Amino acid sequence: MIEELRRRLRGLEKPPGLEDGPTALPLGAGAVDTVLGGGLMRGALHEIAASSEAHVAAATGFAMGVAARAAKNAVWIAEEMSALESGALYGPGLDGFGLAPERLVTVAVAQRRGLLWAMEEALRCRAVACVIGEMRHGALDAVAARRLSLAAAESGALALILRAAPEDDASTAATRWVIGAAASTHAHPRFTVALVRNRRGARGQWILEWSDSDGRFALAAHAQPVAQPVRHRPHQKVA
Amino acid sequence: MLSLWLSRFATDRIRRSREIAAPLAVYGRRGNADVLTAVDGAAARIGLTPGLALTQARAMHPALEAVPEDANADATLLDQIADWCLRYTPLVACDAPDGLLMDITGCAHLYGGEAALIADVSARLDRAGFAFAIAVAGATGAAHAAARYGAHGSHANGDERKVLSPLPLAALRLPPDTVASLARVGLKRVGDIIDLPRSPITARFGGAVVRQLDRALALEDEPLSPRLPVAPYAAEQRFAEPIAREEDVLAVTERLAQRLKAALERRGDGARRIELTLFRTDGALRRIAAGTSRPMRDAAEIRALFTERLAALSDALDPGFGFDMARLSVLTAEPCAPEQIGIGGGDETKEINRLVDRLSARLGSQRVRRLIAQDSHLPEIAAAAMPAQATGTDDGWAAFRAYRAAAELAPRPLRLFARPEPIEAVAEVPDGPPLRFRWRRALHEVISAEGPERIEGTWWSEHGGPARDYFRVEDRSGLRFWLFRAGLYRDLAPGDAAPAWFVHGTFA
Repeated sequence: MIEELRRRLRGLEKPPGLEDGPTALPLGAGAVDTVLGGGLMRGALHEIAASSEAHVAAATGFAMGVAARAAKNAVWIAEEMSALESGALYGPGLDGFGLAPERLVTVAVAQRRGLLWAMEEALRCRAVACVIGEMRHGALDAVAARRLSLAAAESGALALILRAAPEDDASTAATRWVIGAAASTHAHPRFTVALVRNRRGARGQWILEWSDSDGRFALAAHAQPVAQPVRHRPHQKVA
Repeated sequence: MLSLWLSRFATDRIRRSREIAAPLAVYGRRGNADVLTAVDGAAARIGLTPGLALTQARAMHPALEAVPEDANADATLLDQIADWCLRYTPLVACDAPDGLLMDITGCAHLYGGEAALIADVSARLDRAGFAFAIAVAGATGAAHAAARYGAHGSHANGDERKVLSPLPLAALRLPPDTVASLARVGLKRVGDIIDLPRSPITARFGGAVVRQLDRALALEDEPLSPRLPVAPYAAEQRFAEPIAREEDVLAVTERLAQRLKAALERRGDGARRIELTLFRTDGALRRIAAGTSRPMRDAAEIRALFTERLAALSDALDPGFGFDMARLSVLTAEPCAPEQIGIGGGDETKEINRLVDRLSARLGSQRVRRLIAQDSHLPEIAAAAMPAQATGTDDGWAAFRAYRAAAELAPRPLRLFARPEPIEAVAEVPDGPPLRFRWRRALHEVISAEGPERIEGTWWSEHGGPARDYFRVEDRSGLRFWLFRAGLYRDLAPGDAAPAWFVHGTFA
């Protein structure tokens, strides 16, 4: 009897809409998903850093790709400075990228404290599948990271921290990525993706390609980190 | 209508701010001389009157404390008193420079009748240290006249004639020269003109006399313009014991919201903007407003909204000795379908709206935005970030997608700079893409480029600027930029500088 009640209680406590959903969000590229153990863990904190300030747009693209795959609503929270430094999110661009702008709420905050508060608050909302906080520089203190992880675990949403440059601090994040742009010559955006920390498995380095029509990442056909410009080799097929 | 006249307003204001033993007068410049504009009781007793020259007054009474007038301070204080009077009725109007008008229709019974209400106002003003006179009458003009010319207290509707007759004509709020010319022909009291034929008076003294008389006698309506718009819904509560704790304030807010809910439901409305007014025991007022993204009635949600607002206040909610009254008013109401109510349902839109409300209440509605598409070919205008609480259901993206498909629009960058940033660029051919460019001190070598996509300026606007040629370029390290050249070479006159290059956005 008590067991039965406990079981029912567990069922009630679980946020609706997530019972049948996978706990991992596959990125679409098989090799990467295998290393991740099925995909990016939902209900966990992930750090995405641009390999340098110039590559912020690439890191944004990677995060937006994840958000587009996560479906449902996404919340983008950034300090006011980042819109000036790296530009504000541009609706037509997002739409072309595969993330419908209707699904996005953007929040501008004045300081770090507001950013962390807004992220936690957004993570608690059951209609939000992905919360992206653009933090740019400075360490994420352990308590804040822990709080974000807990809030994400409670709701099952993805918490992404976006940074303008890699930080080497200790963190409770499930994964940490360093993203740069890779030569793509306009076909599909390509990223050099380095998984530098993975709590559940090995690390790795790939060149991924985002396909906006399929809404998935894929391993780039020629995964040479420094590819020669394709236009000088017209006989070679561009993927 | 209740008319409150603060008979020694200017001097009372000064006496409230500092201790003055001597008789007090306020003076101001009238024409070429400093004359007294107001005197306090002590000064009046020693024979000083407004209008007396300051030098003369000083000669008569060297001990006189004379202070220059300050119309701004007077107006500010009068506004504060008007705010404070909101506890009695939402319809409060300033009757400058030293009076207030309150429409207490339907409000007096809350205090147990007009007499009790007057007693309450009197006791509080007395404690605050003001000299005042109060009269209640059916018409604004009558109340105004009665308060200022000695017929204090509450007068029943229809008594206007009796009340006004013995009062001097100046009580009708007529210009001084009209009063003077009426006096010249022996008309000194209101009673003198009440029964006179109207047309000769109008012909001789102008229409104002009859109009003001009619208004005072309640024969003609006189509109009252309240200081603040009257909220369509409001609920209030007085406390026997002042409350000070934030939790108590929130609990009261929820109780009031519960009461508003019934009224809102009856008319099928929901609140879009709500204001909580807290009346402090010392007369100060605290107003806290919160917006919602959709019509809202639920008391628990309203409480949650104010929890965020109180947490976000830059200055703490200073309760002083406590709040003795709270009012929750719905400033803006909109029709709201009944199925939108209730907290149980897991509807996604409702959830996200709730989040938007919470974030907006804490951070400000300007900081929580949604992206909307606008009908423009200029890229910086084609999309805008609007406060999420204000955006409706049509955000324009469906139209944008149709347009993009029809026009085969080239890809757009993921991030756009609010202001295009100037770059130094070298192009191979004048109209072609740049070979290399320098942006933020870094040199980028272009290995591939697509374009140009020509976007013409707006001919109807000076700020539309010249036509722009946009290029999508990729540099050696794979970074992708959206560059444009402002101006075309074909438009250049001889001697013009070459068109400038800008980076407008970055692609993923």
